[in-house]
Amino acid sequence: MGLLSRSSPVLSRLGRVLLPCVFGIGAAQAAEWELSLDLRAVSSDGHQSFLEDGQGKLRFDEDHQGIQLGRLRAAWTQPLGEVFSAHVEASRWDDLDKNPIDLTEAYVEYRPYPRAGWRSRVRVGAFYPPMSLENRARGWESPYTITPSAISTWVGEELRTIGIEGQFEWLGTRQGHAFDFQLTGAVFGWNDPAGTMLAQHGFALHDRQTTLFGRVGAPQSDPDESKKELFHEMDDRPGYYAGAQVRYLDRAVLNLLHYDNRADPTVESVELRDMAWKTRFDAVALRIETAGDWTLLVQAIDGDTEINPFRPLIWKYDSQSLMLAKRWGKHLLAARYDDFEVEFDDRPAWTGSEDGHSWTAAYSFERDDHWRFALEWLQVESDVPARSIELGEPAFARESKLELSVRYTLGGTT
Amino acid sequence: MLAAQASATTLEVAVLKRDGKPLAGAVVTAESATPSASPTPPVKAIMDQVNLAFVPDVLVVPVHSTVQFPNSDAVSHQVYSFSSARRFQLPLYRGKPYPPVQFDRPGVITLGCNIHDNMLAYIVVTAAPWFGRTDNGGTWTVADLPEGRYRVRVWHPLLNEPAELEHLVDVGTQRTSAEFKLTKMLRPAPLDDRPHSWDY
Repeated sequence: MGLLSRSSPVLSRLGRVLLPCVFGIGAAQAAEWELSLDLRAVSSDGHQSFLEDGQGKLRFDEDHQGIQLGRLRAAWTQPLGEVFSAHVEASRWDDLDKNPIDLTEAYVEYRPYPRAGWRSRVRVGAFYPPMSLENRARGWESPYTITPSAISTWVGEELRTIGIEGQFEWLGTRQGHAFDFQLTGAVFGWNDPAGTMLAQHGFALHDRQTTLFGRVGAPQSDPDESKKELFHEMDDRPGYYAGAQVRYLDRAVLNLLHYDNRADPTVESVELRDMAWKTRFDAVALRIETAGDWTLLVQAIDGDTEINPFRPLIWKYDSQSLMLAKRWGKHLLAARYDDFEVEFDDRPAWTGSEDGHSWTAAYSFERDDHWRFALEWLQVESDVPARSIELGEPAFARESKLELSVRYTLGGTT
Repeated sequence: MLAAQASATTLEVAVLKRDGKPLAGAVVTAESATPSASPTPPVKAIMDQVNLAFVPDVLVVPVHSTVQFPNSDAVSHQVYSFSSARRFQLPLYRGKPYPPVQFDRPGVITLGCNIHDNMLAYIVVTAAPWFGRTDNGGTWTVADLPEGRYRVRVWHPLLNEPAELEHLVDVGTQRTSAEFKLTKMLRPAPLDDRPHSWDY
């Protein structure tokens, strides 16, 4: 190193950054890890789940009651030098997925120091687009309920940014102002099938996130075709999103996002037995927190998805969600209403269309850093024409479940 | 010496919110309106990091003081300031690996952690010989103040006032009181008991 620093300051600087990366050395470069096991006790009258080729809206249906694996999760954050860090999230959901354990997110973040009130951030890898003000707990979970909103459920099911994202932030609150302001933009690929689930089973309400190399069920008669893999590039056209966020102190956040995967809807993949779904939407979310530990969360999404096998086939969708939560120290109560709708080809009574809404009430108790208990009741009512057209059941279904979650978390630094 | 003692007295500064209730934790400084030659000796202070928060939330030190930034948490922090009175950054660390930071210019320095955005604290560097923070009754008292005219200033992180809070106070031989009453509501205080595992 001595020779290196005398010969070239640039190399020396590079060495100072890279050597700790390579050897993972230095007390300050400690990695942070977390392991958690989330077990559930479920009572459900849900119709056959979309995970099992049905048109049920829940993850745990009537045939999947009793003790179930909620999630087994391992997370790792490794600082790489001073301003880079790597994040990996791996999980297992015990539902006959392709891989016993798989990744939900894996990315490297560049987070330089703020300069003169501005800060930039860059993420490269696979991660969630910044639209859920709801899933703010570790592992992209909602701290308020076991089951996130219909909107967040869909994001977890079908969307992942596999690409590069940049953020530019004005840190007003660090300069005596009451507001911060942030702009985000991303370019991504490998998400051309996004939209296929929405078209085939509509919105759902569950906490299962599709893994990067995993798959998710779809209601089709041929079991070979019934599992969809969502993170593939089919048309070599990158997608993008652009967003803005305004914060008032640490009390209120308004988030806006425009998303377009720019898929070519005429492209078909024989291997995936699916087409590229051109999926676009606008999403807005507002979260307000008060000194009395109340939280109000409003979310809305409006968009469409299209394939063009012989003529354009368009599914329009929208969903709105309103949640109110109150926290007393380690205890939290939350109530949420979700409304959702998909309309295929302007034919609301046809397969592919749906109209539904749900109520969720949850209580959770975060005893300490290790134990968390949550109890949730959820009822979803939906009118899904495919139930009568394809399955010979009534189109309308009311499904409800009561779920107890017991989670144990171990974490630390190395 | 005797003469100085004979003319010294107590100054009590009260800071009231717009609704008339006392404002605790406000930083009050007092300096002679006719500049004196004797500077306040610098101190060695500590701004700790405990449970993903800076402790204390506000630190007042004389000019040329040094502040140590230990990290008592198990996780790493990355402390920065881009305030004009003192720009600095302490690369990702745990424990106490860095020498203290010296503050040579008066002003308010906003501290942040580049990893944990909800961490926020202030260092007020002052050239005033007398300074302190108001108690729960919203008052700050200084004894043995020599007779004369003083510039008294008040600062608080949640202030929303359009102008700097500053009074000229004549301190005579009797106990003297000064009162500051805010004209605007304070900004809401940070939500400090929100679980740390949640995204900011």
